[in-house]
Amino acid sequence: MRLDEAAAVRTNRLTRDYGAGRGLFDLDIEVGAGEVFGYLGPNGAGKTTTIRLLMGLARPTRGSASIFGLDCQSQAVEVKRHVGYVAGEPPQFGALRGRDVIAYLGAMAGGVDQAYVKQLSERLELDLSRRFREYSTGNKKKLVLVVAFMHRPRLLILDEPTSGLDPLNQQEFYVMVREAQQDGATVFLSSHVLSEVEHICDRVGIIRSGHLVKVASLEDLHQIRMHRVEIEFARDVPVEAIRRAVGVDGVTVENYRVRCVVRGSFEPLMGALGGAHVVNLSSHEPSLEEAFLAYYSGAEKEEVASPC
Amino acid sequence: MLRYAFRLHRWGLVGFATIMVLSPYFQAGAFAQSAGTTAGQRAAFAHEMSALAVQLSYLLPAPYRVDTLAGYVQWRAWGTLSVVISVWAVAAAAAAVRGDEEKQLVDSWLAARVSRPRLVASRLTSFGAAALVAVVAASLATVLSAARSEPVSVAGVSGKALALWLLIVTLFALCSLVAQLTPSLRGAQAAGAGLVVVLYLCDIVARSQHSFDGLSWVSPFKWYDATDAMAPGGRLGVPGVGLSVATILAAGGLTALAFARRDLRGPLFSLPIQAATRDVPPFPALAWPVARLLYRQRWTLAVWTLITALVAVFMVTLAHGTVESLLSLPGMRAFLTHGSSDPYQGFIATFWFGTAELLIAGFAVHLVSGWATDDTEGILAAVLSTPRHRWAVIAERAGTAVVGITVVVAVGSLAAAITSASLGTSLDAAGVFRASWPLIPFALTFAAAGAVASTRWPRAAIGVLGVLAFASFMTADLPPLMNWPGWVADLSVFQLYGTPLLTGVFWNGLWAMLAIVAAGFGAATLLMQQREVGS
Repeated sequence: MRLDEAAAVRTNRLTRDYGAGRGLFDLDIEVGAGEVFGYLGPNGAGKTTTIRLLMGLARPTRGSASIFGLDCQSQAVEVKRHVGYVAGEPPQFGALRGRDVIAYLGAMAGGVDQAYVKQLSERLELDLSRRFREYSTGNKKKLVLVVAFMHRPRLLILDEPTSGLDPLNQQEFYVMVREAQQDGATVFLSSHVLSEVEHICDRVGIIRSGHLVKVASLEDLHQIRMHRVEIEFARDVPVEAIRRAVGVDGVTVENYRVRCVVRGSFEPLMGALGGAHVVNLSSHEPSLEEAFLAYYSGAEKEEVASPC
Repeated sequence: MLRYAFRLHRWGLVGFATIMVLSPYFQAGAFAQSAGTTAGQRAAFAHEMSALAVQLSYLLPAPYRVDTLAGYVQWRAWGTLSVVISVWAVAAAAAAVRGDEEKQLVDSWLAARVSRPRLVASRLTSFGAAALVAVVAASLATVLSAARSEPVSVAGVSGKALALWLLIVTLFALCSLVAQLTPSLRGAQAAGAGLVVVLYLCDIVARSQHSFDGLSWVSPFKWYDATDAMAPGGRLGVPGVGLSVATILAAGGLTALAFARRDLRGPLFSLPIQAATRDVPPFPALAWPVARLLYRQRWTLAVWTLITALVAVFMVTLAHGTVESLLSLPGMRAFLTHGSSDPYQGFIATFWFGTAELLIAGFAVHLVSGWATDDTEGILAAVLSTPRHRWAVIAERAGTAVVGITVVVAVGSLAAAITSASLGTSLDAAGVFRASWPLIPFALTFAAAGAVASTRWPRAAIGVLGVLAFASFMTADLPPLMNWPGWVADLSVFQLYGTPLLTGVFWNGLWAMLAIVAAGFGAATLLMQQREVGS
C-alpha cells in the first residue's frame, strides 16, 4: 500500500490493559487523510493512552495501530517522520532557552524551516529567548505547539493542546489547525472540551472508561452538547412555553427564576421566551463527564432537576 | 506537613541507613578477625593502621586507640560515614528546596496557608528526624556487632552518634541555604556539592598539615572529627557540638529569610530579564549527537572538571609536603615506596589516584542522574517523538559518558602532572598517563550500570547506583580484613582498576571492566527497546 493511499490513522482492536479495568480496550478507529479528528473523553478515559500507543511510547497488550499504513510499533521511527506531537504534559527543559529546545528537537526531527518557526512564535507571541523554566504554563504549551508544527508534518497528534492557553491564543491555534488542514495535514486532537472540538473537528471519537462509545459527526455532537441555563424574569414566567420548547429539559421554577437544561440549539428556548421581560440570563456548559452521564445514563432529568 | 515531609525522605533514609548499618557491622567483624587478642598483637595492628591512616587521610580522620574495637570502628567505619552522609545531605537538601518547587509541591503547601518559615522549619525537622533514625540504626549496629567480641560503651557510641547527627543536619542546613541562590535542582545539587567539597578539603588539609589546624575549624567535618567519644578515653567535642548547633540555627534562619525574599522557582538574586528576541539562530552543538547531550550537561561537565583539577593540584601539593615530612621518620621510606623506588609515586598512587577514582565515579553518577531526570521530566518522550531509534538514545548516552569522562580524567591528570613537575617531584608523564587512562573504563562501568538503572527504574536510578558503588567500595576493602577469599575483592570495580601507577595496568581487570561496560550498555539498549516511555 502506498503511503498516500493509506488512512492517516487506523487502529485494529487496539488494547492496553493496565489491570483493574483501567486502560484502553478494543479500539477500532480510522481517520482519513486531511481530516481533523477530535478525540473526546473525560479525564482518565484513555485518550492519552491511545496517543502514547500511536506514538510508539507505550506497548499494546493486543491489537495494532498504524499511521499512513506504517505500524506504530515496528516502524515507529518511520512513523515519526510524518508526525508532529504535543504531549499532554510539556517536557521540562529546565534551563534551556526556547530557541535551544527548538534547535535540539528540530535537529532530531529534521526538515525544520526556521522562517516558519519564527512565524509560528510570532503568531503565538512566544519569546524564544527565555529559559524554559521562566515560561508560564501557557508559554510552555505554545513552545511545544511550535515544536509540533515546525517541520510541517503530515499528521499532527495533539494531546489536549489548548489546555493552559488563553482564549486569544486558542483562537490562533484553531486557525493554525485549519491552515494545516488546508495544506493537506491530518489532525488527531484529544480534548475534554466539547465546544472546542465543535470548533475545529470534522468528526469526533468519544471515549469513556477505555472504550470507544461513538464516532460522531458534528450533528451528533449537537445532541450531546447541553447547557445549564438560568433565566430571571421581572414578572410573569412563561413556564409552559419553556417546557414545550424542543431540546429543553429539567425545568424548575423558583419565584421568578427558571432553571433548565438546553440541548442543541438555543432557538426554541428563545422563541418560548417571546416578549417576556428577562432581567438576567446565564448559561454554562457542564463538564464533559456530566454531559456524558446525562446523555448515556438516561438519568439526566433526575440529576438536572436537583437543586444546584 | 511534617509527616509528609518526612515521607519524602524515606528512600534516602532506607538507602543511607543501610550503608550506615553495614559499615560498622563489617568493620567490627574485621577487627575481630585481624587485630589479634594479645596486647602485642593489638599494638602491632595499631601501628600498621596508623601508617595506613597517613595514606588514607583524604578519606579518614586521624586514628585514636585503634588497638581497641571501639577505636577501630570509630576510625574506620564512622570516619568514612561523614563522606557517605554528605552525599545524602546534598541530595536531600537540593530535592527539598528545589526539587519540590519544580514539582510544584511547594506551591500547594503555600496555598494551604503554610508559612514560608514554617515550611523551612518543617523540612529541616523532617530531615533531622530521618537522619536521627539512620544514626540510631548505625549506633545499634555498632553496639550489637561489637557485643560479640568486645563490648563498646553505649555512652561513647551515643556521643559519636550525636556528632554524626549534627554533621548531617548541619550539612543539610548549609546546602538548603546555598540552594536559595540557584533556581534549579541541578544547580542546587552542584552548589551544595561544591560547598561540601570545599568544607571537606578544609578539614583534610589539616589532617596531614597541622599548620592548617585553624582553618579546619570552619569545617563541620572537623567538628565531627573532634568528637572521639566512642574510643576508650575519648571525649565529646563540645566546641564542635556548639558550633554545629549554632550553624544549624543560623543557616536555618538565613534560609527562611532568603526563601521569604525570593520567588518560587527563582534564584535569590537575579539579573533583569533581557529584551526579547525572536530570532532562532542555528546552534551547531545542539544538532550533533553526543555534543547536544554534552551541551545540555555542560555545567555538570565544567563543574566536575574544575573540581577534579583543583583537587588534583591540592592533593599533589599536599602529597609533596607530607612525603617530605614522613621521609624524616625512620621506617617510613620502605612503607611509602611499596616496592617502588620512589616514595612520591607510592604516595600519589594512593593519595591522588584513590581520590580520582571517587571523583570520576561521582561524575559518572551525576551523568546518570541527568539521564534519569530526562526520563522523569518528559524529555525522553519528546526525543522519542522524533524519528530516533531507541538504541540511538543509549548509544548517545554512552558516547557522552566516554567523552565527558575522558575530559574530566584528562584535565585532572594534566593538573596533577603539571603541579608535580612544578614542585620538582619525580612523577613522570608516562606514569601519569598509565594511571589515568584506565580511569575511563573504570568510570564507564558506573555509567553502564547507571544506564541500566536509569532505563529500568528512572526514579530510583541514583539510589540503585549509589548502593552498587558502595557495595563495590566495601567489596574491595573488606576481604583482607574479614579473611574472605581473594576472588571476592576482584568483584569490586575499585579492585579492577588496580594501582597502575605502581604496578602497571591491571589488564585482566581492564578487560573485565570493558566487559561490564559492554554488558551494561547492551542490557540498557534491550531494556529501552522493550519499555514504555512517559508512563
